[in-house]
Amino acid sequence: MELILLSITFTLFLLIGVPVAFAIGLSSIVTILYAGLPILVVFQKMVGGMQVFSFLAIPFFIFAGELMLYGGIADRIVRFANSLVGHVRGGLGMSNVVGCTLFGGVAGSPLADVSAMGSVMIPLMKKEGYDADYAVNVTTHASLVGALMPTSHNIIILVLSMAGIASVSVFGMILACLIPALILTISNLTAAYLVAVKRGYPTRGDFAGWGEVARAFAAALPGLMIIVIILTGILSGVFTATESAATAVLWALVVTGLVYRSLSWKHFLKACAKACKTTGVVLLLIGISAAFGYFIALYEVPQLTGDWMKSLTNSPWLIFLLVNVLLFILGTFLDMAATILICTPIFLPICMQFGMNPMTFGVMMLINCALGLNTPPVGTTQFVGCAIGGISVGQVMRTIWPFYGALIATLFLVTYVPAFSLWLPSLMTK
Amino acid sequence: MNMQVQALGNSSKYTRFCALLSKLSLMLAVVLLLVVIVCVQWQVIGRYVFNSSPTWAEALAMLLVMYVTALGVAVGVRDAGHIGLESIVSLLPESWRLKLEVVIHLCVATFGILMAYSGWLWASLKWNEKKPMLSVPESVDYIPLVIAGVLIVLFSAEHIIALVRGQEVVPSWN
Repeated sequence: MELILLSITFTLFLLIGVPVAFAIGLSSIVTILYAGLPILVVFQKMVGGMQVFSFLAIPFFIFAGELMLYGGIADRIVRFANSLVGHVRGGLGMSNVVGCTLFGGVAGSPLADVSAMGSVMIPLMKKEGYDADYAVNVTTHASLVGALMPTSHNIIILVLSMAGIASVSVFGMILACLIPALILTISNLTAAYLVAVKRGYPTRGDFAGWGEVARAFAAALPGLMIIVIILTGILSGVFTATESAATAVLWALVVTGLVYRSLSWKHFLKACAKACKTTGVVLLLIGISAAFGYFIALYEVPQLTGDWMKSLTNSPWLIFLLVNVLLFILGTFLDMAATILICTPIFLPICMQFGMNPMTFGVMMLINCALGLNTPPVGTTQFVGCAIGGISVGQVMRTIWPFYGALIATLFLVTYVPAFSLWLPSLMTK
Repeated sequence: MNMQVQALGNSSKYTRFCALLSKLSLMLAVVLLLVVIVCVQWQVIGRYVFNSSPTWAEALAMLLVMYVTALGVAVGVRDAGHIGLESIVSLLPESWRLKLEVVIHLCVATFGILMAYSGWLWASLKWNEKKPMLSVPESVDYIPLVIAGVLIVLFSAEHIIALVRGQEVVPSWN
């Protein structure tokens, strides 16, 4: 009964438009009142959910991402990507994918990625005769890779949401995402190329030579170094994941303020303010989800879901497929962090029962959430892309299929071939 | 900028008070976030340069980030930064939409009241327990709930007043 009340009130609050975090909080309070427990429990769980050291990495990564947005790094990355793949057919589409992937590694967020790269690439592509729907679809899909990159704060949220179910380290999860990120980029490149050939988009001059590639790379290198700092910092044991995130902020300040000298005082304040607001929104969600997770565990939702799924089928293949479909559907309605925090405690146990490694589950979760970012009704990345391209979501959706194909192919490869997510972390433990 | 001046010109004292309050909250949050970063860096420096890792740095960073969150959450309420489903609201006719938006802000405000109240109770319960690493009462963990709760109620009230008067709440700093 309490469980039904919890789900109905949550859905109701969500449907009338109460922000997700408040919908979770209010439905938890209604449920706890019905169960006859003191409201204080909800807020104790909330504060408890925020007392984890790796939690601190989240505001740091958000802050670093905001700084990088204003830092003139996007332009340099575009130049590098263009020098590398710009001469291929549909060249701007290809360099868009490469550029978004690299900037995704710098900013670690699909939303920051599409805002920064989209505002450079989409107008440029339209000017050179590419259709707006192609420009938007390429950008929004390529920027999803940001969610899988080492600077992604969603990876930290994922690891936090697994606490108590499986022990996964932040670093392990970061490594697990690297090869899937590469596969996603290759899939995106393939989709962008095939569509460009089909539509007969122009080639654009000749290869500028390795000298230009090297010069463009040197210009982009200080920005890209952030990925190297994080990976080597943690790998060598110099930093914890949280400390490396704090260092990422300092590095972002040095690069944008001193190396590129493109960060004005005004932009700095703007980035600070935005980072604090986003931090509030995301961390409240994490705290309140800890209260929600308490009910999920108390009323045995994972067992109930697991039993229901097992009554349908006993094949791991089908179970994983079912989980993917459910995650995708929930992901279209909820924001990325909310999907991760609500769904991980429910679906991770059943997947582990059927032999899935928690890290594989994590990558699967992130890709599903990414898919949701480009699907209405709540497709945040897609909205931003459409706004920049001056085109409606409906128009973009008509030609989105090759790009969905790329994402779904990556999703299935990761789900059914565990080695893609587990090989790199396994090298670490040897 | 012009729009902002105009909006301020038409707005009540309460709106101006809230605008100032949210700007100050955000400024404080920014300062605290910078302090958190310094704390974590100090820990690294302490470990490699002075060969001793200060234990208070981590504890202080984790405490301060709760205050950053509390202030950020509240300003998020004022600037409509929290993410929710808007599809149903936008489908409704204008008069219904306004009523529903008032209901949404009432829901948010209710949560704010409960958060402030529970935070206050926890803070008074934990007054005599000391936090490990920092010589302050454990209450400091729960005071952010009170701050966030009170600010959320103030800012939701501002939104409701603005909706009734047909005005818009302009973010004070972004």
